[in-house]
Amino acid sequence: MVNHLTLAVAGSRKTQGLVEHCASLPHERRVLVLTYTQANQEELISRLKQHAGNHHYIEVMGWFTFLLRHFARPFLPFKFAGQRVLGFNFDGRPHRMAKGIGRFLDSNGAAYGCELGRLAHELVAESKGALLRRLECIYDEILIDEVQDLSAHDWEIIDVLLHSSIDIRMVGDIRQSVLATNPRSSKNAKYSYAGAIKWARERQSKGLLEILESVATWRCHPDVAEFSDSIFDPSWRFPETKSKNETVTEHDGVFLVSTKHVTEYVRLFQPQCLRHSVSSGKAFDLDYLNFKVSKGMTYERVLIVPTAPIAKFIASGTYLEASSASSFYVAVTRARQSVAIVLDKAGTSSLPFWMPAVVTAERMGLED
Amino acid sequence: MATGISRKASSQTVQKQTFDNHAGIVDNPNRAAGLIDMHPARSKEHSASPEKGAMEEDGVIRKIKIQGYRIHKNLTVEPNRKFNLIVGANESGKSTLMEAVALALTGRINGRSVSEELNPHWFNTTVVEEFIKKRASGVPVSFPEILIELSFEDLPELQSLCGAINSHVPTAACPGVTMRVSANPEYATELEEWAKSPTSLLPVEYYRCDWRSFADKELTTRPKVLATAVINSHTVRTSSGIDYHLRQILGDQLEPAERAQISLEYRRVKASMSETALNAVNTRMSSVHATLHSRPIALAMDQSARTSWEGVVTPHVDDLPFSMSGQGQQSAIKISLAMSRHAGRAKFVMIEEPENHLTHTSLVTLLSRIESLAGEQQQLFVTTHSSFVLNRLGLDALLLMGNDVAAKLSILDPETVNYFKRLPGYDTLRIVLANKIVLVEGPSDEIVFERIFQDTYGKRPMQCGIDVLSMRGLSLARGLELCAALNKPITALRDNDGVDPAEHRGLADAWLKKGERELFIGEVAHGKTLEPQLIHHSGETLLRDILGIAAHADLLKWMSREKTEAALRISSASKKIVPPAYMLEAVKFAHG
Repeated sequence: MVNHLTLAVAGSRKTQGLVEHCASLPHERRVLVLTYTQANQEELISRLKQHAGNHHYIEVMGWFTFLLRHFARPFLPFKFAGQRVLGFNFDGRPHRMAKGIGRFLDSNGAAYGCELGRLAHELVAESKGALLRRLECIYDEILIDEVQDLSAHDWEIIDVLLHSSIDIRMVGDIRQSVLATNPRSSKNAKYSYAGAIKWARERQSKGLLEILESVATWRCHPDVAEFSDSIFDPSWRFPETKSKNETVTEHDGVFLVSTKHVTEYVRLFQPQCLRHSVSSGKAFDLDYLNFKVSKGMTYERVLIVPTAPIAKFIASGTYLEASSASSFYVAVTRARQSVAIVLDKAGTSSLPFWMPAVVTAERMGLED
Repeated sequence: MATGISRKASSQTVQKQTFDNHAGIVDNPNRAAGLIDMHPARSKEHSASPEKGAMEEDGVIRKIKIQGYRIHKNLTVEPNRKFNLIVGANESGKSTLMEAVALALTGRINGRSVSEELNPHWFNTTVVEEFIKKRASGVPVSFPEILIELSFEDLPELQSLCGAINSHVPTAACPGVTMRVSANPEYATELEEWAKSPTSLLPVEYYRCDWRSFADKELTTRPKVLATAVINSHTVRTSSGIDYHLRQILGDQLEPAERAQISLEYRRVKASMSETALNAVNTRMSSVHATLHSRPIALAMDQSARTSWEGVVTPHVDDLPFSMSGQGQQSAIKISLAMSRHAGRAKFVMIEEPENHLTHTSLVTLLSRIESLAGEQQQLFVTTHSSFVLNRLGLDALLLMGNDVAAKLSILDPETVNYFKRLPGYDTLRIVLANKIVLVEGPSDEIVFERIFQDTYGKRPMQCGIDVLSMRGLSLARGLELCAALNKPITALRDNDGVDPAEHRGLADAWLKKGERELFIGEVAHGKTLEPQLIHHSGETLLRDILGIAAHADLLKWMSREKTEAALRISSASKKIVPPAYMLEAVKFAHG
């Protein structure tokens, strides 16, 4: 058994690990590196050119391209005789009542991104082994980065690959799986988002997969790392994050900031401000980035405008549901040194409130 | 890599192959014995299942489908794994078949890309006529298309070409490539405008060429696994000394490292020219201000890609440049290069009419070389008009071009294949190509048969499309077997040699078929051979008259001694003989 899943924490240099693994492989090994986002794909290609440029059989591909090129395009006729995939439709969705080929391809013959995983998975069986045999002959090893981003039918495909002769190596941080390949699909709901950990542990118990845990973060300050761990229900059994960030500044850790001090805080520390979506954080005129968009980024400091459930979690310790926890985790772990959360009622939270120096002085004066 | 391993394995098994020892193979009994062992497997392989086939490394094109390309309106061929000898009458599309296969394998034709070479004459004229007729009568049929589809063996190294985007019904996945030439929808308006007053020359400017794998991936350059060598008899007389095909073959011959080394060294040599011989000239010229802006002018060796080593490096034979050697020698060299065993050698070798430009002796040598070089992992396509080539390379490799199908000899006894191999001078191609064939034992039978036919129908057999062929001492049974394998109607005649005709028929029974393939033998009572049969039926008086034999001479003795002379006299006589009953029957049967 040579299939591996490395569960890493944010800032643990996952991608670099993949690149180093590629560089360590025999030169003639035919390797496919898969990833979900375009940005990550480019990042991987450029890093591989740097560190494994002498490996000529390493190919980097997006997940959808993989499904199109090796599943849908060659084998579509097994499901729909005489038909071809003529393109890719990333944004479109089939009509809810769509039947037959209309469920998978639009009127121009372009495959719907959200249904591609399902189509690809069904073709594996329909091709009576031809699809998998083809893949086994083309690649010796498939590496999948950002594996937490896959969902629903994609996991079925991973399952197929785990049973193939191809060595599968996956890297991901399932704590930050905020992207879903098909938001509408209910299939594999139990595996999606942070629940994916259960999926992996089931495979491990069957001997299909070896789970390696990489818990060291090079990014987050120990206090930030510790707080990021506290976001998840302990029953999910995530290991504790170890911080290797030893930098000390005048403002390190996780703080609460009351609404009246937000402007002053931003002026002083110039954090990257994060919000859940366009509709949140309207109370402040800040230069926001949405949680999802911030994925993969690193900032010295962040300021988070919490959603109601996040505020509730901080004030009362009520755990967030999986997807909310993931997106909050992404936001928190963007920061190297400090995280500030805008909140007026701290409830039972032990997080300290940040106070402007003047206010502190005034208060001290009053107390005197 | 899987391919690397299999190559290693195969090079070990073929070590015994040599380049020099290609002569004398025909007469070498050990060699012949080796061939016998080789062949029984071959005919069985035709029906082998794909799963079984996948284990074997030789021969990868399993199916060729050509639609609307030149003479081929709709042709499907399932070639043999190793050797394919394509025979057929003139204009039956042998060369077109080879051309189409090369087109789909390489995406090029005569060294140029398909879209560059595309012209209206590529389209099947019948298809175009139908299109014009239908459009004229108001039926909005679509524009004619060309489709060339090659399905390969399901080999591991070909899997990147594997998929179900092919014409197989029911849906099936296998490696393959498709070349499709079809109307380009981007020019829909122009096309329809043209269709208002169509001509037989299609507007290929509005067409597009789409070259794809069965995995529906567009191909731009020839996949390395589909290495193809095309050897035609066109003489090499290009300015660079080698033609495109030879360059391709040479290119495949060299390892990448060797190529790089040659290229670097050539560049270095050129550079040194600039520093030595040209230096003096440049010193002198530097004082001449000849250019418009008085910039110094100097001579240097051209180092641009246009002048790469490939343009000047050419094979030499006995110190003569390749292009200066004879045409026969040129083909021989090309064949040897394409078929020799090296890592990057061609998987497909296509040879057009190897018999051209060669003396009989050279042809023997060349065929032996082809045979000894042909090995695992190579599929050979040879067109020929020569029975010698056909017999020598093995009748079981025959692909007979017919209308829309290429017939194969699937059930020929390996012994028979060998029989003709050892007697390659025999005109088997005549049997193969004839519509109706009459097989007789010797020249005298042939001549007498023709005369009786003429007497009966007032025409020569050839005028009725009947080819009369003498076996000249070769086994009639082998000829019968060949015809049976080709499913050809045949009239066979033989002497009874004192044996009951029923017994002869019994021996040949497997090849005979009532009404199609029949064997005619004279009654034992009427004489053992043709001559006593003739005497029995015509009577001595008539025969003596026709033959001009004096009364005192022994007629039977003379006829038996001067068989051919007797036959010729019968043939040219003004009087008719009374034909032997079995011959007349045979004449009537052959005429039908």
